[in-house]
Order: sequence, then structure tokens, then C-alpha cells
Amino acid sequence: MTILLSVFVLLFQETSNGRFAQMKHGVVNPDLSKFLVIAALLFIIGVAGVLTRRNIIVIFMSIELILNAANLNFIAFSRQLQETGSVNALAGQIFTVFVIVVAAAEAAIGLGIVIALYRNKETIWVDEIDLLKW
Amino acid sequence: MILSGWEAFFFWFFGLAAIFAALLTVMARNAIHSALFLISSLVSVAALFVLAQAEFIAGVQILVYVGGVMVLFLFVIMLVNVGAQERGNEEIFNRPRQVGASLIFCFLLVAAVLFAVNTAYPKLQEKVTTQQANGEAVATAVNRRLPRAATLTSSLSTQSETFGAALYRYGSLPFEIASVLLLVAIIGSVMLARTLKQERSADDMAPEEFEEELIEHPEVATVEVNAD
Repeated sequence: MTILLSVFVLLFQETSNGRFAQMKHGVVNPDLSKFLVIAALLFIIGVAGVLTRRNIIVIFMSIELILNAANLNFIAFSRQLQETGSVNALAGQIFTVFVIVVAAAEAAIGLGIVIALYRNKETIWVDEIDLLKW
Repeated sequence: MILSGWEAFFFWFFGLAAIFAALLTVMARNAIHSALFLISSLVSVAALFVLAQAEFIAGVQILVYVGGVMVLFLFVIMLVNVGAQERGNEEIFNRPRQVGASLIFCFLLVAAVLFAVNTAYPKLQEKVTTQQANGEAVATAVNRRLPRAATLTSSLSTQSETFGAALYRYGSLPFEIASVLLLVAIIGSVMLARTLKQERSADDMAPEEFEEELIEHPEVATVEVNAD
């Protein structure tokens, strides 16, 4: 219990010592960290979908959510670097384009596999696709 | 990067919309509803891209994801006809073990993000502020020279122009490799999705020969029945 409590204090030390006004300022004027928080939440939701859903198509959609969270991080950091006048500021956006390309290819191949699988196994529930289990 | 005024409002609006739509994507019982919620989530993320001054990426996101990938998803959902199977009381989630594992991962991720934001971010911010002043001065100087938009509220942005130049200057080799990847993906998905009959015809097998093979190897016929 004391370990949990110390972890909790460690996590919230910045906000716990009377910086409510600073938090409010952060909400009214969102900066890079808020982009990162939203991207992290999208990523968490995507991971939860991949781990918990049984429908393989919904699992693919959750993977798209994860890739989008990564894209949001790239774009937010790219914007941050642009404001500091960095030379490589647009590298994040270039990378995002390639992530989108690979996501499109992945979706096409993955859905082709789903169709082939459905043709042979007559199911799209991942817990019924257990040919490699022993 | 600090948003203010209406930018901040739209940031929270689209950010929360993206998160809620993503939650509904994962939790919807019907796969078609999942796909539609995923579309709204992706459009909200595209709006966040616009707020981060990446207009070109936002356009690409909407064109590729909403126009291409989501249509593909909807087609496959209709092809495998999940809507009919999902009625009834079937559970949509796995067993508690998987849910528990995902909850643990969620907790770890939230803890890591909070820890990182709380400890590392203020230091980064201190380091960045001085550079930021210089960068903003340059940016406003550049903006003053740009033509005004038709709405007269803001200047036109040269973001797409600079992005295109950067893409071909720094990323031309990956750009070419991506074209090969897309070609492989096209051929692969066509190969994977075709039926046995189409495979035989691609192997230059005449229909009569196929009938003969059916007599010799009856198991081919059962595969064919499953295909339809």
C-alpha cells in the first residue's frame, strides 16, 4: 500500500503542490503535451481493442487507431520543431505520409487474408481460429 | 506551440470527439457501427492535424483513410456478412483474462505518460522558450509576406509547398520504395482474395479439365462449395 501511495505521489507531485491555476492555464492554452495526451489515449483505446475484441475486422480497425495515435505524435512534434526553427522540422510530416501508405497497404493485405480465412474456416472470431494451437 | 482562443476550443472539441469515437469503435456491437465511428475518429484526428498546421497531411488522411481504407473495411464486412452473426447474445469481448491484461497495459501506459509529462516536459519547455521566441519572429516575418485568404481572417499558408519540397529532398528514396510496397500490396491482396475457380483459370486450366479434376479429386469440390 505504501508503495502504491509513493508511486501516486511521484506521479502527481507536479500538480499536487497548489498549481491548479497552472493546470487551468494549460487547459485554456493547450500545448504540445495535450496533443501527446490525446494521442496516448487513442493509443490505449486501440491497444485495448486489439487485446479484447473477438471480431478480426474490429481488431484491424483498432490497429488503424494505434497508427493514427502515432501520426498525431509525429505531427505535434513536427509543429513544435517548426516553431523552434529546426531544419528537420518537416521530417515528422514526411514520416506520417509513409505511415499512412504502409497502413493502407496493411489494410488491403489484411482484409484479403480475412476473406481467404472466411472462405476456408467460415469464421471471423479470433478465438475460433486456433489451427496452430496444440 | 501554444494554441489559444478558438484554436484551443476546437482542439478540445475535436480531441474529445476523437477519443469518444475511438471508444465507441472498440465498444460497438455491430462491426459496421465500429467502422462508422472509426471514420468520425479519423476525421477528428485530421482536424487536429489542421490545428497543428499540417493541412496537407489532414487532406491525405481524409482521402486515404475515409475515402479508401474505410470503404475497403465496409466492403469486407459486407462480404463476410458479420451483421447477421452478431445478433443474439454473443459476447463481443474475450474472456476476463484478456480484459484484465489490457487493463493492466492501459494503467501502465497512463502512468508512464503522466510521469513523463510531469517530470520531463517542464524542462523541455524551459529549454524551448528561448528558441521559440526566435522561431516565432521568423514565422511572423514570413507570414507578413503571404497573401491574405479569401475570408480575410488569416494568411494563406505555404505549408504544403514546403512539405512537398522537403518530401522530395529528404524522402525521395523511401518514396520510391513505397511505390514498390503498394504494388506488392495490390498483387498480394488480389492473390489472397481470389477463389479456387479463379486460381484454376489463372493457371490456364480449361473448364473441361477442371471438371475432370473434380471427378478425380472430389475434395476440390468441397473447397469450392465453401468458397460460395
